[in-house]
Amino acid sequence: MIKFGAGNLRIPHFEKPVFAVAGGLTDFRKRNPEKNTCELCLEATRMAVEENDLKVSPEEFRRRVNWCVYSQFADHFGDQLLAAAKIHDYLGFDPLGNIEVKTGGATGGSSVLSACQAVASGYADCVPVVGWERMDEVTTKVGNSYIASAACKDFESELGWMYAAYYALMAQRYQYENQVPHETLAKIAVKNRLYAYYSPYSQNPGKYTIEDVLNNEIVSSPLTFLECCVMSAGAAVLIVCDEKTAFELSDNPVQITACCGGTHTLRTADRRDMEILLLPNETEETYKDYKTGRRKDWPGFSSFLAARMAAYLAYNMAGIKDPVEDLDVLETHDAFTISDIQTYEDIGLRPYGQGRDFVESGDCYMDGRLPTNPSGGLIGSMHAVGATGIFQLVEVLWQLQGKYDQFHGTEGLWTRYGKKKPDDWNSLQVKNAKRGCAISHAGTGSHVTCTIMERA
Amino acid sequence: MAVKLDGTIAELLSKDPMVIKNQKTWYHMHTYGGWSKFFQDLQKGKLMGTRCPNPDCSEKRIFLPPRADCPDCWARTEWVEVEPVGKIYTFSEITYPGELFRAEAPVHLISVEIEGVATKLMSYLWEGTPEFGLPIKAKFLTENPTNTILDLCWVPA
Repeated sequence: MIKFGAGNLRIPHFEKPVFAVAGGLTDFRKRNPEKNTCELCLEATRMAVEENDLKVSPEEFRRRVNWCVYSQFADHFGDQLLAAAKIHDYLGFDPLGNIEVKTGGATGGSSVLSACQAVASGYADCVPVVGWERMDEVTTKVGNSYIASAACKDFESELGWMYAAYYALMAQRYQYENQVPHETLAKIAVKNRLYAYYSPYSQNPGKYTIEDVLNNEIVSSPLTFLECCVMSAGAAVLIVCDEKTAFELSDNPVQITACCGGTHTLRTADRRDMEILLLPNETEETYKDYKTGRRKDWPGFSSFLAARMAAYLAYNMAGIKDPVEDLDVLETHDAFTISDIQTYEDIGLRPYGQGRDFVESGDCYMDGRLPTNPSGGLIGSMHAVGATGIFQLVEVLWQLQGKYDQFHGTEGLWTRYGKKKPDDWNSLQVKNAKRGCAISHAGTGSHVTCTIMERA
Repeated sequence: MAVKLDGTIAELLSKDPMVIKNQKTWYHMHTYGGWSKFFQDLQKGKLMGTRCPNPDCSEKRIFLPPRADCPDCWARTEWVEVEPVGKIYTFSEITYPGELFRAEAPVHLISVEIEGVATKLMSYLWEGTPEFGLPIKAKFLTENPTNTILDLCWVPA
C-alpha cells in the first residue's frame, strides 16, 4: 500500500480510557536453567501484583482478572506449542479466556495493544499481559538461525541465517546516504550499557568506552558485537485496567493515551519508494530537498515505514505535537546502534537524515531533553523477545510513577538476583516525568508499535 | 502385556537443575509453490521476475523476488525474464553467520538494484570487492545447485 486512502490514516481512539497500574520483571540472563518458563512468568507476575503497592491482596487481584494476553515471539525457542495454555494454568487463571499474540520482535508491544483494545472496548476491565522468551535452549548460533527464520525463508534467510546481517545491509546504506561517524553510533552502545549498569535486571551492563566499541569484533560490517542486542531468558508483566479498576487497585495509575501499530514488508528488498508520511512536527518544506544526491527513495533502506506509521497514529491519538518537547522519557527498541538512529528519525525526534544530532546534541542522555533507554535497552539490559515490549512499558510506568529507585536501587532486588548493587549506583529517575513513550519493533521493521503513557 | 520402551533416552546434560537433551532431526517438506519457476529457471541460467498484467494497476515494474499475485490489485502476475545485470545498492561482510548457512564466512551480502525492477533483491557477491553502485552481473550455480536462493549470486560486470 503506497498511496493512502482516508480510511488508512484514520486516527484510532479508545472508547473507554485505558490504564496501567503495575509491572513486574525477572532478571534477564543469557542462560537460566535454574527456572523453567512457567516459573519465570510467575515470578514476573508475582512482582507485578505483590510489589507495586496495589491496594488489594494477590488473592483479591486474581479474582478481578477477566482476560489475559500472552506474548511469546517464537515457538521455536520455547519448543512448546500452546505454551500460553501451560502458563495460564500455572498462573492460576483458568478458566478465564486468553489470547496469545505474535508479531516478531514487536510481540510485546502488540500484546499490550491487544490488552488495550480489550479494555477500551469494554470486553474486559483487568488484563495481565504476560511476555517471555527463553532463548537458552539452543546455542547462540542456532538461536540466530531461529531468529533468521523470521526473515523470508524463500528469498532471504539462506543468505547468512543472521538478522544482524540484514540490519547491516540497511546500516551500510544509511551510512552511505547520511555519513554518521562510527563514534556517534558507539555512544549509543556506551550509554545503554552504562544505564544497564544501574539496573539489577540487566544482562550485559558495563562501563565501556567509545574505543572499546570501535575496536570490538565485527559481526557483519559495520556492526560490532557491542552494538548488537543481547539474547535473553526472562519474563515481563504489565497489568492493564479500565479507569474504575485502576483507581481501586492503585493510587497512581498511569493512562495509556495511545497504543498504535504499523507494518511494512518482511523483505527489506520489497520496500517501494513513496512520499514521506509527515508527523505533526513536520511539513512538506521539511523534506523538499530530501530525495537528492545519494538519497533516491523513501523509506528505502534508511527508514522504517512501520515505525513512522505507528508514531503518526499514536502522536495524533495522544495529541503529541513535538515528541522531544512533549515526552519526558523514551524507550526505543535499540536492537542495533544504527537502527536506533533510524528510529529517532521515524518517530520525529529529528528530521530524516539528521538522527545523529539526537545523540550528538546530548538530547538522549539523562540530563538531555529526552532521556532515552534509562532501562539499559536491548543492548544493555535484555532482549527476551516476547517480554521486550512489555519490559519497556514496565520501565516507563515506573518512571512515570516515580518508582525508578524503588525498582532499581533497592538492595534486596540485587541480592534476589545474586548480584551486588554497585557502590557507585546512580538513580536514573527522570525528574517529574509526566509522559513517556515506548517503541516495540520487529523484523527489519515488519511490525512496530508506539505506545504513549501519561501520569493520570 | 507390559509396555516395551524403544531403548532411546533423553541424554542428561546437567543433574541439578535437571537439563535433558531434546534431539531434533526431522525435516520439513517446504514448497516454493507458485514461485517454483523462479528457482527452476535459476538452474537454467535465467533470472525471472513477475509483472502485473492488469492495465488498470499502477505498478508496471517487475517484482524480484517474484510474486505470483500483485500486492496492489491482487491480479495473478505473469513471468518475465530479467536481464541479469544490476548495481550494488548496499552490502555487508558477514563474519558470524547463523547455523544452517551453506557457505564459509566471511561472505559479502549485497542488495541488488536492477533497472525496471520495483524491488532490491538480497543476494551475495561470489567474488570481488563490493562498493556502492558497482555494476554487477548474475552468476548462476547451475552445476551443483543448492535448490535455494543461493543458486543466484553476482560478480563484478
